[in-house]
Amino acid sequence: MESIAFLTPLFEPQILLTIAAGTLGGLIIGALPGLTATMGVALLIPLTFGMTPVMGLNMLIGIYIGGIYGGCVSSILLRTPGTPASAATVLDGYPMAQRGEAGRALGMATIASTVGGLIAAVVLATLAPQLAGIALEFGASEYFALALFGLTIIASLSGDLLKGAISGLLGILISTVGADPISGVLRYTFNVQGFASGFAFTPALIGLFALSEVFTQMERIAAKEEPIKIVSGRWPSRSEMKESRGALLRGSIIGTLIGIVPGTGSGTASWISYNECRRASKTPEKFGTGYAPGIAATESANNAVCAAALIPLLALGIPGDVVTAVLMGGLLIQGLAPGPMLFQTNPDVVVGIFGGTFIATIFMFIFGMALIPVFSRILMIPRRLLAMSIVIFCFIGSFAINLNPVDLYTMVGFGVLGWGMQKFGFSQAALCIALILGPLLESNLRRGLLQTHDDVIAFVSTPITLLFLALTVLSAGWPLVAGALVRRRAERNQSKPESQ
Amino acid sequence: MLKSILMGAAFATTAATGAFAADFPQRPIQVVVPYSAGGSTDLSMRVVAETFERLFDGQMVVRNQPGGGGAIGSSAALNARADGYTLGAGAQGPLVIKPLIGGTDYKLDDVEFIGLYARSLQVMVACADAPFSDYDAFVEYAKDKAPQVGNSGAGGANQISAEAFADAAGITIESVPFNGSSEARTACIGGHIDAMVASPAEALAASEAGQMSPLFVMEDERIDLFPDTPTAVEKGVDFTWSSWKGLIGPKGMDEDTRAWLRDAVEKVANDEQFRKTLTDMGEFVVYEDGEAFEARARKDMETSKKVLEKLHMLEMNN
Repeated sequence: MESIAFLTPLFEPQILLTIAAGTLGGLIIGALPGLTATMGVALLIPLTFGMTPVMGLNMLIGIYIGGIYGGCVSSILLRTPGTPASAATVLDGYPMAQRGEAGRALGMATIASTVGGLIAAVVLATLAPQLAGIALEFGASEYFALALFGLTIIASLSGDLLKGAISGLLGILISTVGADPISGVLRYTFNVQGFASGFAFTPALIGLFALSEVFTQMERIAAKEEPIKIVSGRWPSRSEMKESRGALLRGSIIGTLIGIVPGTGSGTASWISYNECRRASKTPEKFGTGYAPGIAATESANNAVCAAALIPLLALGIPGDVVTAVLMGGLLIQGLAPGPMLFQTNPDVVVGIFGGTFIATIFMFIFGMALIPVFSRILMIPRRLLAMSIVIFCFIGSFAINLNPVDLYTMVGFGVLGWGMQKFGFSQAALCIALILGPLLESNLRRGLLQTHDDVIAFVSTPITLLFLALTVLSAGWPLVAGALVRRRAERNQSKPESQ
Repeated sequence: MLKSILMGAAFATTAATGAFAADFPQRPIQVVVPYSAGGSTDLSMRVVAETFERLFDGQMVVRNQPGGGGAIGSSAALNARADGYTLGAGAQGPLVIKPLIGGTDYKLDDVEFIGLYARSLQVMVACADAPFSDYDAFVEYAKDKAPQVGNSGAGGANQISAEAFADAAGITIESVPFNGSSEARTACIGGHIDAMVASPAEALAASEAGQMSPLFVMEDERIDLFPDTPTAVEKGVDFTWSSWKGLIGPKGMDEDTRAWLRDAVEKVANDEQFRKTLTDMGEFVVYEDGEAFEARARKDMETSKKVLEKLHMLEMNN
């Protein structure tokens, strides 16, 4: 009863307006490549100095939720992941838009983000203290095993296993550039100070997916192919919704669970969800060809992470990702120390944040649906002009993120690499996954072995680690087993008519 | 014709900046923060900018240039034109420690210290499930077995301060580097490491919740937030450490501009509202002028040099 009383202040027009403004602002920031949700939250923290804690924090949460959602817009329309969280949405969103179904792709993304956000928010509001314990179980070996499991996605995601493995290994190699995470020695930087932290992630993704696509487009323009001018309505068809139901639920749950584990983030969640939904699907071959459940899988997962990442933050004082780390700064400025005590000392703030998460998700749905026709109009722009503007956005977005000129070389380099990979049938997605998981894998393997004094057995012998290692073996072995089964069935079917 | 107009304009601008430095600042001052937006260095500098704009007739813009443990942004500030319009947030890691490890294109001698407005105090804490929970037990434990002490990054200020303490106290520790302090904090609360260096604000909340226990404070005297926690000094170990929040710039500014900026930092640091906001954020607000700030930096460099030499990290990346 008491907690309901804490919810009423949320419905004051001033607070609703602040949350709405935050969500809309975040949505636009997320939709622009290179401007991320993290940046939006960080830049607006000073604005919250004068606000009450509930108002200020809910504005920041609005930006966060809107920002992670907004990333899907440019992924779907322009093949430019607005935030790393939406990189996996490119796989099915962009082909759908190219088929003239941009509106429906965006509609599906909006619905999926809302479902994922709401499910995770329910979990946040009901089970936060109970689930937060999961976050504490993760030490170096558990993170290592999780990252290793994540890498098996490459096996099932890339059609050609050898080429997929090559892309993945290349990605891991690239992720070793920069300061060694354990000793601090600079690796492969060739004395360029700007590479001291390795290749910046967002510029690399923008190059890999967006610039490479512009190169491909230029070839098509030269071949005088007609552009798509159809964008379709915004509501997915009944059959698309029916097909996506499983993916929505699965994505939301995977996103929630991964969101609770600190330091993994929405990028990892959306790739794992995509892979699991594809594996569970009756028609896995449709994934990657512009299939609505593919969007449902990634977008429900990445928005579920937003609310779920608040679980360890509020319950334990552990930020789950970069944005929640910034939010923690926001809480501290308000004189509130996140952690188990917060539930006792400031229940009004905790309940206010729970409520605000719901409200922001609903605003995100309304604004997202309302803006789809506006966003889709981008595709009406003549292809030549669009290609030019994407190039400009690639440069601005890559520079804006760290103001580091070296990032522009990174973006162009990855653009050329991505174009070459596309041309010769290497999976860009595999490279992207390796770039996300490589550092997690390496630093935790080395940190864990440092802590156990190079005792490998001690390193792997915890229950969660063993569970993930078993899943890794299953996941990596499954495509081979499945392939063998299909072949055997085909042989049997062939041999049957003969024996009759 | 056009050429002479341009030259005239150029001359006029030079004359304006040269002769009437009293009119400084005429355009927005940029402050490069060498870390991502949202960290404590960034947030405190944003409060400085806000206070600056309230107190003076001028604009101050914070620009985040993260990367290389702060080396990239610090380099940008130190290699900027010395006209007072590009300054930097003076952070310990990139200015004192990174040049010693190597791989930077600047040295501590290239830094013009303008003023320090706060210090971030440091507390060594025992993590959840650690086999010790106070200073004496910690040192006693360390005699048999090196405790695993988490830090926010290899070759960062956190690692140096933990190792410097161990050196002064005559014990051995095993440093476990993490990617940022929030990862270290997660591992600490989860009981995956034995101890870490924390800020008083985060240590207080976590110790009230029973997640960490404070071992000692790295100051000369006990601090208000932890009246019951000893300092290393009172335990007979000659060791203090704190990280800084200050303003720096490139060397070679003209005298008037420099004096104006120094005065501005002093006024900001003594502003009542500024002190309150920063204190709420967990910073220890204290003003030190350029000379005192520089002396502090040089002392920290001596300590770091000794530790890095022992860890074989001195000039490792040159």
